[in-house]
Amino acid sequence: MLNQVLNEISSSKNGLNLNELSHKLDIDRSALNGMIEFWVQKGRLVNDDAIEENSCSPERGGCGASCSGVDGCSFVMEMPKTYSLKKPNKTL
Amino acid sequence: MSHQHKHAYTQRDGFTIDYGREAEHEIVKIQTKIAQYAHIENQYPTRWLAIKLLEEDSDIKMRLQVLEGGKEILTHAEKSIAHLEKIYNDDVDVIIADYRYGWINGLVKETVKRTHENRLTGSDKADKIVTHRLLGIPIFLLLMWAVFKLTADVSTPYLNWVDSVISGPITRWATEIIRVLGLSATWIESLIVDGIIAGVGGVMVFVPVMMFLYLALALLEDSGYMARAAFVMDRLMHVLGLHGKSFLPMLVGFGCTVPAIYATRTLENEKDRILTGLLVPFMSCGARLPVYVLFAAIFFPENASTVIFGLYILGILTAIVIGIILKNTLFKDKEASTFVMELPPYRLPTLRAIWFHIWERTGSFIRQAWTIIMATSIILWFLMAIPTRGNSKFNEADINDSAFASLSEKISPILTPLGFGSWEASSALISGFVAKEVVVSTMGQVYAVDDAADTTAESTTFFEDIGEIITSFLRATADTIKSIPLVIGIDLFEEEVTEEPTALMQTVHDGFEETSNGHGALAGMAFMVFVLIYTPCVTTIAAEKQEFGMKWTWVSIIGQLVLAWLMAFVVFQGGILLGLG
Repeated sequence: MLNQVLNEISSSKNGLNLNELSHKLDIDRSALNGMIEFWVQKGRLVNDDAIEENSCSPERGGCGASCSGVDGCSFVMEMPKTYSLKKPNKTL
Repeated sequence: MSHQHKHAYTQRDGFTIDYGREAEHEIVKIQTKIAQYAHIENQYPTRWLAIKLLEEDSDIKMRLQVLEGGKEILTHAEKSIAHLEKIYNDDVDVIIADYRYGWINGLVKETVKRTHENRLTGSDKADKIVTHRLLGIPIFLLLMWAVFKLTADVSTPYLNWVDSVISGPITRWATEIIRVLGLSATWIESLIVDGIIAGVGGVMVFVPVMMFLYLALALLEDSGYMARAAFVMDRLMHVLGLHGKSFLPMLVGFGCTVPAIYATRTLENEKDRILTGLLVPFMSCGARLPVYVLFAAIFFPENASTVIFGLYILGILTAIVIGIILKNTLFKDKEASTFVMELPPYRLPTLRAIWFHIWERTGSFIRQAWTIIMATSIILWFLMAIPTRGNSKFNEADINDSAFASLSEKISPILTPLGFGSWEASSALISGFVAKEVVVSTMGQVYAVDDAADTTAESTTFFEDIGEIITSFLRATADTIKSIPLVIGIDLFEEEVTEEPTALMQTVHDGFEETSNGHGALAGMAFMVFVLIYTPCVTTIAAEKQEFGMKWTWVSIIGQLVLAWLMAFVVFQGGILLGLG
């Protein structure tokens, strides 16, 4: 079941979201969330943060044309969380 | 590997999970070993400890190592792990977790009864339409069109109100204070009225436009739609051979390009990261919007929102086309990266959260006006006050003989084939390198110097001014309410509202008509396309240098300048050839 989740993600050609994956594999969404987190802990999936924290800090030159700078960038939109597939480090 | 899920949901001793014959055998073997050490057996449940050791739980291993007999148990567990990995050809913790999730899923299926209807939540049902493979993109385009319709049309009464306040009472009060201080008719008066008020005020006029844009974006963001837009467009990018995750930074770019450049860090492949970084500046940031609003109002007053919407779509299309070209040439890479996206459930946006977004973002825009734009306006005023031709003194020369005009004239021949080869238009584009809002503030200075000075002739008292500000605000509010149904094409009030062009709009119009030999609308469109595509602000350039290095930054700067010129050329010259304007 866990490997099925990874296989579905790696074979998806045109984008996939967790709701679709849940319906496709007939796995309850709450159980799927746990499976995703398991693979993140195992290092096979990477939890991408849309924007790195403090990406607009003064050390990085602050944020551009209309940004509050030190307090963070108010123009950063809340983006959906994405999990990218990583190649396995360990081969058995 | 063959996991027998049908055995997974087998109740033993209440809630014990069956991990399969082989794993259970090894668990029992480790439990037997643990039982040899009473102090450990008494401290931990043996089955739980055996499973934790098979999962290679680092905390448990550390605790066991310091106990007498712990090392022996660990050695025993390692043998069991090696044995199971040989059988299953997978990590033991994966095998155990797999059985555990199989048990959980089985439990949910046996205890939670769902009909076909209630298996789908409201969000699922909405997503079937909103993220549909065919309908998703038209829905995205329709909502974006509504955003710009709201931004350009509904905000107009407030835009005119702010304009009348700045060019009227504020300019009069500043002039009066200067008179009281005995500085009338000095260069200080010119600096404040023609430099700071014309420059900063020229940008502040667009605060209502920005507020409506941020309102529309906040509604889409907080309702959960923006995440769907990212998903729909990601799928399109994937189909076109670009990295699916590229559109996430691009969507951020609608607000500001700088965080969008940093957002490319989510792409692990360097080629994809640099490619996306090169495409992000084509997304029209909020700072460019005042330019579009001004020019659309001057040259396309009947279709202003459609023109602005078209420019945003042109930015997206340019990014996609350039992306496909680069992906098949400089950034050729067969390695496909895959990912899964988590869509948040739809929510009803709260007034408090929406107001917070508007306040934060508009506040940033206003802070920008009082810092970078004010500094630039002062520098430009000095450049306009220094004569380089004739025998005039400082601040007495005709603006056409100023240092700024002489400098900008060097650039204007390059822009002549685009229909806006005047020193005024060139100067606005040069100052736009600092920040895109400065394009409009510079126009306020170079085109409307006389206009600002003329308003000082009116004579009203302070309280009359306050009264006029309040009544004109109420009038603007009433006009705004009336214009809301017009967004969806319903005219409830049947009033013919004709906006009188301001002096700045009229001067820009005349200037563009002159430089384009009567094709002002085409020249105006070419100017907007040039502003959309050409090199972004200096802060974005600094971010590009930091993220991608100097080589790619130069590619971005020069590439965008050349592309902007070519696209503006096609718009202007092509438009003339086709007899469009």
